[in-house]
Amino acid sequence: MSAAFVSPVAVTRLEWRRLLVRPLAWVLAALTLAWLAWNFTLLLGSFLAGQIQRAGLPDGPGFTDLVAVPLLGQLAQLAFLVVPLLTMSMIAGDRRNGTLPLLFATGVPASRIVLGKYLAVLGWLLLWLALTLAMPLALTHATHLDWGKLAAATLGLGLMLATLGAVGMACSAFASHPAIAAAAALVIALALWGVNLGAQMAGINGGVINWLAMSTHLQPLLRGLVSSTDIVWFLLLTVLALALATRRLNADRERG
Amino acid sequence: MTSIIPASPKTVLQLDGLSRRRAGRQAVQDLSLTLHAGQVMGLLGVNGAGKSTTLSMIAGALRPDTGGIRLNGEDFLEHPGLARKHIGWLPERAPVWAELSVNEHLDAHGRLRGLHGAALRAARTAIIERLELQPLARRLAGVLSQGQRQRLGLACALLHHPALLVLDEPANALDPVQVAALRTLIREQSAAGTAVILSTHLLAEVTAVCDRVAILHEGGLRHDGPVHSDDHAALERTFFEIAMNGNNSAARAA
Repeated sequence: MSAAFVSPVAVTRLEWRRLLVRPLAWVLAALTLAWLAWNFTLLLGSFLAGQIQRAGLPDGPGFTDLVAVPLLGQLAQLAFLVVPLLTMSMIAGDRRNGTLPLLFATGVPASRIVLGKYLAVLGWLLLWLALTLAMPLALTHATHLDWGKLAAATLGLGLMLATLGAVGMACSAFASHPAIAAAAALVIALALWGVNLGAQMAGINGGVINWLAMSTHLQPLLRGLVSSTDIVWFLLLTVLALALATRRLNADRERG
Repeated sequence: MTSIIPASPKTVLQLDGLSRRRAGRQAVQDLSLTLHAGQVMGLLGVNGAGKSTTLSMIAGALRPDTGGIRLNGEDFLEHPGLARKHIGWLPERAPVWAELSVNEHLDAHGRLRGLHGAALRAARTAIIERLELQPLARRLAGVLSQGQRQRLGLACALLHHPALLVLDEPANALDPVQVAALRTLIREQSAAGTAVILSTHLLAEVTAVCDRVAILHEGGLRHDGPVHSDDHAALERTFFEIAMNGNNSAARAA
């Protein structure tokens, strides 16, 4: 393995291990998955109850529209709370404990420290998404899934989680205390989601303000519409947030 | 035929005009010194003299404002990645990841320093045995006493056999038996060719293990010279003179 990859992988392994032994990650996973499982049964019950009425509709909504995608929508809502809680200590906690200089002193560049920590969080979030997705997928044999739509929605959720994770990392890099990092990440995530609410209420459906909003880019993906513009929006924001976190970490090393 | 000219000692660390402002004041000012392989240098100074700032810069955790650091002849500021293999650092108060066990700490540090697989396991086993950490190996770092944390920090610093060992107050919170063991360990490292720089408040620590002493005052180097085990009184005079007056009249007179 080349030296360039050793450091981020070593940091990822370290952070992954730390995530796994922290009660917070387990509690978050247990509570949210239990909540999602409960909602899955409710959505499924509602789907089964309406099956006879929908039988007469030739292009009526199916299992994917009525159960799988709404379940992913609920995961998206939970992510606004879960991601800030998961990322808050990633850098701010290390700074408070005095363990951040330990990483600096291993000669690992700030960019790789940020990337390594981010990949650990992203791994947890993608596992969370996969476990949620396993609920509708468990019924594959008994129902008809729209695989294209489900794949687009999963891509959208994956991109959203990746972006929120990066925003959380940036907040953790800038905040002096993990709680401040969590609050900042929550506020920024909500602002990103609803930045266009005023414009929409005024009946404006285009323009920069709508382009800035996360909802503008996630909703088409949840409906099964994959657009490179939407993907680029998520990637741009992710890269920007990680670059800001790296910049702040470099400043830490400079300022001490 | 053997040469009667001794080989020039290998320079491991060279500081050249190192300066650093911190918390609105000049923490380190124009600091220059050289450390050779196998040398043990004690860094003395009152609180706020700039010892920890100096060691943080040497360890690569903090960048100097001006000046240069050469590590094994290479520009350390240009290539901070040199720290990975060549420096072992025990920071003051030995910070740890509380949720990881002693074994996991050593594994993480080893991987960050480029050790993997069998080499990592062998290095971990050896250092655990050497520092007698076996009873603590599976214990979480968060529940260790300060003295045990110091030993864990020391193990992490030594794991990858660095050429330069940077120890910030290593005897903090150690009991007398552990202090004696630490001294033996430092002497071993020195005999193996590792350059050691350690900061301490304890003059006895310097006379016991160091062959050189540098005294910092208000960020500047006020004294740099050899030290002998029977020199305690002379070192004490020099230290207090610098601490009280900010100067070493003996050195001036010389």
